[in-house]
Amino acid sequence: MTDALYTVGLALLQSAGLLAAAPLLKTVIKKMKARLQNRQGPPILQGYRDLSKLLGKESVRSETASWVYVAGPRVYFAATVAATTLVPVLMAAAPLEAAGGILLLVGTLALGRFALATAALDTGSPFGGMGASRDMTIAALAEPALMLGLFTSALAAGSMNLGVLVRGLLQQGPSFHPSDFLALAGLFIILIAETGRIPVDNPATHLELTMIHEAMVLEYAGPDLALVEWASALKELLYMTLLVDLFMPAGIAMRAAPGAILVALLAWAGKVFVLAVAVTVAESTNAKLRLFRVPELVSISLGLAFLALAIRFL
Amino acid sequence: MSISDVAAAGLPAALVIRLATVTATAALTRRAGACRGVALGGSILASAVTTTVAVIVIVSGRAIDGVLVRHAASGIVLSYAITPLSAWFLMVLGLVAMPVALYSVGYFAHAVTAPRTALVGAGLNVLLGALEVVFAADEVIVFLFAWELMTLSTAALVAVEHESSASRRAAYLYLVMSHVGTGCLVAGFLILAAASGSQSFPALLSGHVVFGPTRELLFVLFFLGFGVKAGVIPLHVWLPEAHPAAPSSVSALMSAVLITAGIYGLVRVCAFGLGVPEVRWGLAFMFIGTLSAILGVLYALTQTDIKRLLAYSTIENAGIIVLGLGAGMLALAYGHGALAALAVAASLMHVLNHAVFKGLLFLGAGSVVMATGTREIERLGGLLRRMPWTGLFFLVGAMAISGLPLLNGFASEWVTFQALLLGFASTPGLVRLNFPLGGAMLALTTALAAACFVRAFGISFLALPRSHGAAEAHESPAVMLVPQAFLAASCVALGLFPGAVLRTLREVTRSLPGLQPRPEMVRGAMGMTSWATRPESFDHVVPALLGAAMLGGLTFAAWATVRTGAAVRRVPTWGCGGEQDARTEYTATAFSKPLLMIFRAVYRPTRDVETLAEVSPYFPQEVRYRSAIEPTFERYVYGPLGRGVLWAAGRMKVLQAGSLHAYLAYVLVLGVLILIWLGGPM
Repeated sequence: MTDALYTVGLALLQSAGLLAAAPLLKTVIKKMKARLQNRQGPPILQGYRDLSKLLGKESVRSETASWVYVAGPRVYFAATVAATTLVPVLMAAAPLEAAGGILLLVGTLALGRFALATAALDTGSPFGGMGASRDMTIAALAEPALMLGLFTSALAAGSMNLGVLVRGLLQQGPSFHPSDFLALAGLFIILIAETGRIPVDNPATHLELTMIHEAMVLEYAGPDLALVEWASALKELLYMTLLVDLFMPAGIAMRAAPGAILVALLAWAGKVFVLAVAVTVAESTNAKLRLFRVPELVSISLGLAFLALAIRFL
Repeated sequence: MSISDVAAAGLPAALVIRLATVTATAALTRRAGACRGVALGGSILASAVTTTVAVIVIVSGRAIDGVLVRHAASGIVLSYAITPLSAWFLMVLGLVAMPVALYSVGYFAHAVTAPRTALVGAGLNVLLGALEVVFAADEVIVFLFAWELMTLSTAALVAVEHESSASRRAAYLYLVMSHVGTGCLVAGFLILAAASGSQSFPALLSGHVVFGPTRELLFVLFFLGFGVKAGVIPLHVWLPEAHPAAPSSVSALMSAVLITAGIYGLVRVCAFGLGVPEVRWGLAFMFIGTLSAILGVLYALTQTDIKRLLAYSTIENAGIIVLGLGAGMLALAYGHGALAALAVAASLMHVLNHAVFKGLLFLGAGSVVMATGTREIERLGGLLRRMPWTGLFFLVGAMAISGLPLLNGFASEWVTFQALLLGFASTPGLVRLNFPLGGAMLALTTALAAACFVRAFGISFLALPRSHGAAEAHESPAVMLVPQAFLAASCVALGLFPGAVLRTLREVTRSLPGLQPRPEMVRGAMGMTSWATRPESFDHVVPALLGAAMLGGLTFAAWATVRTGAAVRRVPTWGCGGEQDARTEYTATAFSKPLLMIFRAVYRPTRDVETLAEVSPYFPQEVRYRSAIEPTFERYVYGPLGRGVLWAAGRMKVLQAGSLHAYLAYVLVLGVLILIWLGGPM
């Protein structure tokens, strides 16, 4: 009983913590991008202000929309929040490790995407359809590369469960096997593709020809939009945490001691920041690819992941 | 009398019920309503009996055998045996056949004309009875007889609407391909029977009958014979024609359980009936499975006919089943019994899950077709408001087939992934690279299926209706909704309790030669595990826990949004400055266009834009757009094959000249040749 309470408490704490941090990550990337362009950029707390503003507004919904339109953002949000409990962040154990591992994580994110893409078709606006079509297309292409990249790490650690996997990696100590770098590069491309960053998608535009994710959620307003934005930010943080767990686990606490947790918190924040800088640089130095060039980028990722697997185990 | 004695009477009793039902429908030809009631009521009763027997066999783990027909004068005894493997397929059959029959009570009243009710009702019973005998047959003669009956009754049901040339063509194509397949089966069984000197399956399929090249030949023959029914690429071309042509509830049966007859044969004979499989057999199955999965879903993505879309998705799922089976055969070839048990369990689990969600989706499609009068999803839209229950159930099926957690599709795909990853970890050499590649392709398939079913559900059920028929649609009667509700609930239950399914399958796989299922596969009714050499499991999953976490997330979302207390305002969708109506909605063709372009090497699309203008081409009166994808297999494989057969037939026409003298000469020459051949060795 106490075990169950402990698990629930830990899960609540971790998802609440990540939910709290997610808007900050989004703003930090925006800010860094702005500075690279010699602009001031938004204040560091802008993400929170946007969310609270949206949450306070009235809901504006299309007349043609049904309950699917209302359910979409909620399921997307709930799935992303549930996914955070499957990933170790500060301790070498995921709160809901007992629920499942990598496959469940990928499946849960797919569930959220399915809900949002379906809901986007509900207003009858061509934007929603266009965005949903493109989002599902890119997700489909990214899926095999993502899985293959994750398989490589999982097979190296001997487990598909992220908690066990991270503990295994920590016990093995730092490895600088070439396959790690290949797999990291492959998964970084997937991170870009799945979180709608340049060169795959442009999060800062509302021009219909260039946008994917933003087109899909164009009709949403008020609290509905807040849920979508919040979950998207959370998803980005989640992917970054996943990359950190798989390739730079050093610093994650093996015991639930306050000192170790503090170190882990700093280490995690630092590593996520490094990834955020990498994303910023990638966004600032690349032009957005044409939609039909994206498959080439994703197949590079697939190739890298396959090479990583091959040189690791042959 | 023990329970197994009662159970032994089950299958013959069910067949007697079916026979009586068929007779009664023939007698009631003129009274459609009564005929429908008798045919479908009898069908439900018979299915209930066989399902009960199947469950008894699975739970007890002991096969039941008995006699179907005993002819005292000639001494002919035809026997049957329900092994745990047969029982699994019988159970899947019953689980789908009962809701389908109930649904048909409402559906046939509308979709089948009164004079044809007797034919369809009888055909349905013959088909189901034949399937039951196929799964339970213990002798070659019984099996082949039932197999042929199954083919013929299906062909009759496909050709019910024989006024349409498409139906006739579909039925003809189905008959031709099925009979080529049956020919392969007959040849294969004859070779086996000659080698073993017996006709009973246990002797024939003991695995010690044939060796060397003969064994390879038999593998190919049986793969072709059963593969046609399973609908795997490249033997699939009949399937997307025949499945949509039949009445929707029959399509549901064809897609959900008719293909499992082929799968049953592949498992029973190719995987476990010819001795320990070769490595190349396992690889061939994995390759064919992956190819069917990827191409099946890619073709499904571009279909705009909802029933054809579902038919292509059946090919995809048959591919996933064969992929798992292939992984199991590869593991068997390497002598890894535990891994093989996991892979075969994955395959059999997907047989069940696919039957449930595909049955559900075809019933939903039937309701849609009945309500709107069209199968074209470009003419649908807005149905969720008009058919709220059908829409909800279709959505559940769409999510299940997309492999999303909490539903059953995820569970069997999870086990398949486990088998593939553990296969990589526990087989030697370069061959093992096939496992993660298969896994990556399975991931692609699943994600493409999600795109396909976002499209199928979203375009058909959401936003504004695109035609008058869709605008005027009404919800189906309760008798058609209850079966869909049952199947949708099964999708959820099988998704939340995958451990219970896997535990059942552990008993089934234990009965197959060479498989050593590990006890730790199951973690309670809700959880599944796969093992590793380390103390921790390689992976485990308890979907219900994720469901609890999602409930938490939903609660928080509700709290965060309701707290604001602001009203909901309803406004028209922004139409980019123009009027927003059904014509500006995104279409199904547009939805799949990016994937069509990306995979154009597979599709080889052609398009044809025609602008009609009176004054100047800059002021078009009308723009016509036509696009098509190249039917690769039909054109490049079956086209030349068909022409070759016709050419050969043309040459052979010379022999059949119509002259009686010539025919008598043939008889004489043949007689002499036979005498020489028979007399020669003496």
